[in-house]
Amino acid sequence: MSIYLNILGFHIPSYGLMITLGVILANVFALYPLKKYKLIFDDFLILEAYTLLGAFIGAKLLYLIISYREIDWSRFLEPRYFNYIMSSGFVFYGGLIGGLLCFLFAGKFHHIDSRPYITHLIFLIPWIHGFGRIGCFLAGCCYGIPYDGPFAVQFPEDSLAPSDTTLFPVQLVEAICLLILAIVLAVLDLKKSYSHTIAIYFIVYGILRFLLEYVRYDAVRGHLLALSTSQWISLGFVIGTICYLIRAAHRKKKDAVS
Amino acid sequence: MGIASLVLGIIAIVIDVFTAGTIGWIGAILGLVGTILGAIGHKNQAKCATGGLVCSIIGLVLGLALYIACVACVASAGLL
Repeated sequence: MSIYLNILGFHIPSYGLMITLGVILANVFALYPLKKYKLIFDDFLILEAYTLLGAFIGAKLLYLIISYREIDWSRFLEPRYFNYIMSSGFVFYGGLIGGLLCFLFAGKFHHIDSRPYITHLIFLIPWIHGFGRIGCFLAGCCYGIPYDGPFAVQFPEDSLAPSDTTLFPVQLVEAICLLILAIVLAVLDLKKSYSHTIAIYFIVYGILRFLLEYVRYDAVRGHLLALSTSQWISLGFVIGTICYLIRAAHRKKKDAVS
Repeated sequence: MGIASLVLGIIAIVIDVFTAGTIGWIGAILGLVGTILGAIGHKNQAKCATGGLVCSIIGLVLGLALYIACVACVASAGLL
């Protein structure tokens, strides 16, 4: 477990490497649904690039918001300090929200019908996220609570996680759950032609993230009342999605009657 | 579009390779913008669009792989 992996003499950040591997594999896996549903590859690239840009901006903005007390704002415009802020510190939910907003904007701006792309390719989000969590484990960030039960991990001294105690492997637990979720969503869409894959993703990940927040121990987490920022966002996603499904079911019933 | 994509892609690769990890996130962003322009150009069969797309994707991948380090995804320990 190391922040950097030494590959062919290059010091490569393990988190960046895992994210890149996840994105590359995701693009390879995307080829099958793109072909099956006769979607345009160029449109997929446009939507994906906007989504990644939005994800970067959103993840960074949410990080800045929840850690505004820890950032030395008087130094924010210093090139080195600014560069350091830009190269580190991201929050997933900010990335998800920013990515989705940019995805929808890209569809409208470039006149692309984005709905089939998100419906059939939603499984790529937990896939890439899962690889990101493996990167978090290698780097030692987003670490779990002190724990000495089965599968407890002890991080090395040069890791971002405390090395003086064994910790709950929350990054690996989340990574495994995300990869399983990605596979289930892919099977539901590609084999069963299930139409509510997006709803399943938001509800399942929302519940998963809400619960895993209780075993996260990394230093500064935004909190409001008894819940962390991510728990509030998880609640919002789960409740919002359930309301949407109820409304959609009512509308379907109404249309069937009329 | 194609030429703009090619220019952005080449700049992204140069930034990623020659700045030794300091401003790679700029390379990644330029790679993303270059990818968007390249894909639009490719759709419209613009000149150099494929080359621009390839260079931009390489710039993006290098930027992601080499320079984005997760320093405690919520807080940056060395900073505080």
